[in-house]
Amino acid sequence: MEKQSGYTWKLGMFVTIGLLLFIMAVYFIGKQQNLFGSTFHITSQFKTVSGLEVGNNVRFSGINVGTVEQIQLKNDSTVVVVLVMKEEVRKFIKTDATASIGSDGLMGDKVLTISPGAKSKKVIEDNGQIASVDGIEMQDLMKSVKKSVDNVGIISEELAIFSHSMNNGNGALARLVKDDKMANSVSNTLSNLETGTKGFSENMEAAKSNFLFRGYFKKKEKEKKEKAEERKEKQEEAKKEKQEARQEKQEEQEKAAKEKEQKEKEEQQKQEDAKK
Amino acid sequence: MILNIKNTFAEIGETTIFAKRFFKEVLIPPYETKEFLRQCYVIGYRSLPLVAITGFIMGLVLTLQSRPTLVKFGAESWLPGMVALSLIREIAPVITALICAGKISSGIGAELGSMKVTEQIDAMEVSAVNPYNYLVVTRVLACTLMVPILVFFADAIGIIGGYVGINIHGDVNFYRFLTQIVQSLEYLDLLPATLKTFFFGFFIGIIGCYKGFNASNGTESVGQAANSAVVTASLSIFIIDMVAVQITDLFF
Repeated sequence: MEKQSGYTWKLGMFVTIGLLLFIMAVYFIGKQQNLFGSTFHITSQFKTVSGLEVGNNVRFSGINVGTVEQIQLKNDSTVVVVLVMKEEVRKFIKTDATASIGSDGLMGDKVLTISPGAKSKKVIEDNGQIASVDGIEMQDLMKSVKKSVDNVGIISEELAIFSHSMNNGNGALARLVKDDKMANSVSNTLSNLETGTKGFSENMEAAKSNFLFRGYFKKKEKEKKEKAEERKEKQEEAKKEKQEARQEKQEEQEKAAKEKEQKEKEEQQKQEDAKK
Repeated sequence: MILNIKNTFAEIGETTIFAKRFFKEVLIPPYETKEFLRQCYVIGYRSLPLVAITGFIMGLVLTLQSRPTLVKFGAESWLPGMVALSLIREIAPVITALICAGKISSGIGAELGSMKVTEQIDAMEVSAVNPYNYLVVTRVLACTLMVPILVFFADAIGIIGGYVGINIHGDVNFYRFLTQIVQSLEYLDLLPATLKTFFFGFFIGIIGCYKGFNASNGTESVGQAANSAVVTASLSIFIIDMVAVQITDLFF
C-alpha cells in the first residue's frame, strides 16, 4: 500500500493538471465566443452583407462587444443579421444606433460596426432591431467611376471637333493660326499700333511741359515717390522676418538631425548588442 | 511478394481480432485497478519530461521558422494565432503520439515479448490469472487515456515555447499573447484534435501489446517485437491522422 501511494499522488497531479489545461482552453474559447456570461441579441436588416460570416466580430466604438450569430435571407433583397452582444454594453446602445459592415484591415475579415445615434435616450431591448447603413460597395464605386469616364469621353469628343475645326475651318482663330496673309496683316496692324502709341506718348510729354497741366503731373510724381518709399520699408521688414524664420527653421533642422543621429547610433548599438 | 502481402493482411486481421478481444474484456470483471493505475503512472507521468521538451522545442522552432514569411506579408501580429493553431490542430498531437510510439509502444512490446519468451504469460494462465485482462487491457486503457493528457501538456508547453520564440525578436506581453491565441481558436480546432489523440493512444497500446503478446520463441524475437511495434505504431498514427483530418474537413 505504501508503495502504491508513492506514485498515485504524482499520477493524480499529472491527470488533474492535464485536464485543467483542457478545461481552461474550453472555457476561454467559449468566453471568446460569448457562450458564457449574460448576453443579449440585436437584429438588423441589410440589403447585402458583403461576405459577412457567422462568428465575425461586432464592434462598438472600436471595441469587440459581440459576434454575429446568424445570417438569414428574409426575402430576395433583405438579409437579417442576428448579433450576440455582451450584456454590459447594452446600456450604451440606444434605439437609434446604426449597424454597418466594413472590413478589418486591407485583407482582413468583415466586421460589423455599431455606431451610436444622436438623439434617442432609450436603451435598446433584447431582440431589438437597429437600422443599417449600407457600406460602399464595389458596384457603387464602379458606377461613379463610369460616370466620370463617360464625361471624359464627351469632353475628348468635343476637343476633337474643336481641333478639327481649327485645322480645317475658316473661322477667325483658324485663320490666325494657319493663314500667312492673316498673320502678316496682324503684325502690320501691331506695328502700326506701336508707331501710333509712340506719337501719343510724345504728345503726352508735350502736355507735361505745358503750363496748364504742369501742376497736376508734379503732384502725381510726389505721390509716387512716397508710395515707393513705403513699399521699400515694408519689404525690408518682411525680409527681416523671413530671415528670422529661416534661422529658427535651420536650428530646428539641426536639432532634428542631431536626434536622428543619436537614434541611429542607438540602433546600431542595439544591433551590435543583438549580434553579440 | 504475394506471400508478403498476404502476411501483411493476415497480421492486420489478427490485430483486429486482438483489438476486438480488448473491447470484450474491458467490460468484464475482474478490473485490475491497481495495475491500471501503475501503468497510467508509467505511461503518463514518466513520459511527461520527454513530451514537455519536444513540445517546448516545437513551439519555439515553429515560431522562429514561420516568422520571416509572416513578416514578409506584414502579418507579424498573426504569429501567435498561427503557431497556436498549428500546434493544437496538428503538431502537438502527432509529435506527442510519435514520441509515445517510440517510448511506450516499444516498451510494451519488449516487456510483453520477454514475458512471452520466458513463458511467464503461460504461467499466468496456469495460475488462473487472465493474462489478457491483467497485461493487455490495463496497458491499452492507460495508453488511450494518458496520451490525450500528454497532448494537453504538449499544447500548453508548446505555446509557452512560442512565447519565448516571439520574445527573441520582439517584446510581447504574455497576457496579450494569450488573448491573441484565444481569439484565433475555436472549438472546431480543439475538439477534433483531442478526439483523434484517443485513437492515437489506443493504437499505440494495442499494437505494442499485440507485437509483444505474439512474439515467437527465442531471445531475438523480443527485439523484433519492440522494433516492429514502433514502426507499425508510427505508421498507423499517420494513417489515423490522415483519416481524422479528412473526416473533419468533410463535416466542417
